[in-house]
Amino acid sequence: MQILNQNRTTGALLLTTLLAVPTAAQDVLVQASKIIVAYSTEAPNNMVLKDSALLIRNGKIAFVGADIPAEARRAARVIDYGNATISPGFVLAATTLGRDVDLGEGAIAFTPDLLTADAFDPWLEQLDTLAPAGVTSFGLVPSARNVAGGIGAVGKPGLEQGRLIAPEVFVGFSVSRSARNQERQPTSLMGAHQMLRESFTEARDGVKIGPDLAILRQVMSGQRPAFFYADTFAEINAVLDIGASFNFAPIILGGGQSERVIEKLAKRGAGIVLNTLSPMMRRADLELPAKLNKAGIPFCFAGRPDQLRLSAALAVRNGLSRSTASTALTRTPATMLGQQANVGALRTGCGADFVVFQGDFIDLSARHIATWVDGKLAHGASAKQAMKTRNTNLTGGR
Amino acid sequence: MQSLRSIFIPAVLVSWMSLTSSPIAQTPTTGGSGEPPRASSTQPQPPSAQDPARRRRSGARRGGRRASFTIIEAGTVHPVSGPPIKDGVVIIRGERIFAIGQQGELQLPPNTKVFKYPDGHVYPGLIDASTDIFTDARLRGDRSLNGGSVIADGLLWTDSRDDHVIEHGITTAYVRVRTGAQLPGQGAIVRPSNSGFNLWEDKEQAAVQLRMTQGNSASHPLQRQTQLESVGKLFDDLDKYLEGQEKYEKDLEKYEEDFTKYLEHHAKKNGKADKKPADPKGAEAKKSEAKPAAEKPATGSPNGRRGRRGEGRPPRREPPKGGQPQELTSEAFDELLATMMAVIGQPATQPVDVQGPSRSRPQNPANSAAKPATKPGSATSKDDGPKRPTYPKKPREDLQKEALNKVLDGDLPLRIEAHRVDELRAALNLQRDKEIPLVVLEQAYGAHRVTEDIAERGATVVLTDVLPFSLAAPGDKRNAYAKFDPTSLPHQLNTAGIPFAIAGGTARMSAMLPMMAAAAIGNGLPEAAALRAITLTPAEILGVAKETGSLTRNKLADVIVTSGPLFASDSRMLLVLSKGRTEYEAK
Repeated sequence: MQILNQNRTTGALLLTTLLAVPTAAQDVLVQASKIIVAYSTEAPNNMVLKDSALLIRNGKIAFVGADIPAEARRAARVIDYGNATISPGFVLAATTLGRDVDLGEGAIAFTPDLLTADAFDPWLEQLDTLAPAGVTSFGLVPSARNVAGGIGAVGKPGLEQGRLIAPEVFVGFSVSRSARNQERQPTSLMGAHQMLRESFTEARDGVKIGPDLAILRQVMSGQRPAFFYADTFAEINAVLDIGASFNFAPIILGGGQSERVIEKLAKRGAGIVLNTLSPMMRRADLELPAKLNKAGIPFCFAGRPDQLRLSAALAVRNGLSRSTASTALTRTPATMLGQQANVGALRTGCGADFVVFQGDFIDLSARHIATWVDGKLAHGASAKQAMKTRNTNLTGGR
Repeated sequence: MQSLRSIFIPAVLVSWMSLTSSPIAQTPTTGGSGEPPRASSTQPQPPSAQDPARRRRSGARRGGRRASFTIIEAGTVHPVSGPPIKDGVVIIRGERIFAIGQQGELQLPPNTKVFKYPDGHVYPGLIDASTDIFTDARLRGDRSLNGGSVIADGLLWTDSRDDHVIEHGITTAYVRVRTGAQLPGQGAIVRPSNSGFNLWEDKEQAAVQLRMTQGNSASHPLQRQTQLESVGKLFDDLDKYLEGQEKYEKDLEKYEEDFTKYLEHHAKKNGKADKKPADPKGAEAKKSEAKPAAEKPATGSPNGRRGRRGEGRPPRREPPKGGQPQELTSEAFDELLATMMAVIGQPATQPVDVQGPSRSRPQNPANSAAKPATKPGSATSKDDGPKRPTYPKKPREDLQKEALNKVLDGDLPLRIEAHRVDELRAALNLQRDKEIPLVVLEQAYGAHRVTEDIAERGATVVLTDVLPFSLAAPGDKRNAYAKFDPTSLPHQLNTAGIPFAIAGGTARMSAMLPMMAAAAIGNGLPEAAALRAITLTPAEILGVAKETGSLTRNKLADVIVTSGPLFASDSRMLLVLSKGRTEYEAK
């Protein structure tokens, strides 16, 4: 409105422009010396902007870098992070948020049509630990206690409460030890394997099927990703056989012994969601990410959110490239969840979910300055001040 | 200036080549005092030299003293004791650093092995101030350890992954174990190699460990307070023990005097008064032996502080080794033997018990010959001269009390494992009440709450687990340690001016020293302070800073080269030299 008052001669053209930029007062312009729009497994392919900015509108990335209209840039509230680096927020591919009991139907092993979204509590305390760890979105998976646990969701943490952005995304299966129960079927890995095989066969061949088998049909048609809890060689092998038999590429949750089936994994196009790494692990476990990458197997990390960065750093220390490790925290899990258009990158149209570090977050020496979720500051020392101040130049970024 | 340098340096180089001890260039670092290596002639030989079994298990390589030169040229040299040097060079002669400087400023000796790393970074060898490397599960679980236990005696090389810390740049480490024992032994300083380890000479017993924590298990503060207060009792009867030891030593001296008089008397009586008494020479020799030990200042206290035990009285004499009374010199004994044999009228052909004739050992044929001469009824028994003195009874030896007395004297640091705030306060109160000169607080997770007290008492801190949420997951209400943030603690201690070291804690975590320091940098610690926390500061805490911890002339050539900055996650170890010897080189 000030612009209109100052320059009436531009009249209609400017008015048209302003009308085309609805609620310009809500726009936020976030500047930094380095903005990584999207990571790639090959470092030269990372989309990096120097001394650039993001324009956030309605919680999404409206414009990036040179595409930001001058009018919108002038009208926006400016957050300047100085010489810090802005990267896409981390995506935690799979978590139960500590609600394992609520996300597994213990009495019945095969419940593919249950919705984990129904058990989501947006005020859960565990959600508060995500933003400080840089996690801006997560996959809420069913418990490992059911052979077919239900349909997983994708959610985000927030300053006060979390929310689900996609309530029905993928299907969670399990052939791990947790899924075997002496009080109901299956009681063995063989039984779990057989249960899955029969169910998928019926879903494929059956004429009249119920809602549960309809979910399996969606998996086979590629409409829904399928996440399988499997850790040992036998479990992973069983899952790969099911995938091969019914023509879908599974995503393995755990995959501790995936090194033994690495060629088969690559051949089947499977992905791996590794547990977070620890310095106390065996050297073979620490080197597994580098080996998976070498074999062309997409992988990411899941587990304790506060250990994601450490896991990536340990993987890099044991042979993984920086860009692949960064991709494993951002774009790869987003792709596995089928949400690459919404999270895991800072392209136009994606959610304004990003982290601000003083340096490369792969280095533990990089200081975590802030986490933004949906265009709002979810974590950061001067978060509230930054949101209230116009033309702020955050000290944390200098 | 440049021309002067071009004239001066070759001239100096010539003199340096002829006089091998003169430096060719001024080291730009501070602290290059050029002090000679610490004298160790009065110290016991290193166990690797003393004990063949230990030498075997250490796998230490033997070799002559090398005096050849090694040169490392790298993109950046980080001396720690001074600012980083771009395009730096480190010259090593034998096992010590000869000079460091910038490439082009130093004229290099010809025909010398040169390591070139144009993009590499050179640092001093890393020092792990607390680890359990080279210990096995049995030792780590041994609750029977006490303050007198010497951990060095139980160290083993197993060639496992955890033993190869040298590949991660660890050239010096302080080894201790964390058992449930209150005093889990005395830690040792070791120097790892690619095929074993060597114990640091004179540092096999480097500190006394004291555990003042119950861990993260749930416990009531009052219960902890009661337990912590009881720790002070360990020090309560040390004075009495010391008095007993001193009394014994005095009695021993008196006995020696009395026995000499006794011998002299009988020598005179037998008409051999002109014979030179044995004692003066023996006593003199004995005095000359005892004097250095008595005059030697307390070791292990780099800042020169001494506890109350060290003030106002001469230092305590070291007790004789092996539970035996202090021995006289062989010359003194020859004299004594000759005199005594003359008294009893027999040739000095039989060996005589060191502890004197007061001990009757009828089973010992060596003494049986002397016995009849001292029996009542002989000429001496009817004499009015001095009576034969009684040998003093030696008090029971207690190695734990010996160790704690050394702690009170400032000869050994006391390393107290204390986690919570109340445990740390109790540890600091113990230091104050007992006037312990050297205290190192280990795993002091709650130290940020007592920084003023720590600074006031002059204690130092060794931090472990400096990784994000390494103690507990955030928000874990069942874990009492979830409130501690080990990664921000280094910055807080640094701000308070408290010397601290970042340590691995366990063998496997020793390899994580750079990443732990990096995590501390990520929480506010300046990079230079982080580097110091894994090099020079631990060397100071361990009392070996004169020998290692920085790239300074005359210090041991413990040098590492990395492919990038040490704190970068993708930085690789390229070269590790320990005492100038290549222990690891990346292929």
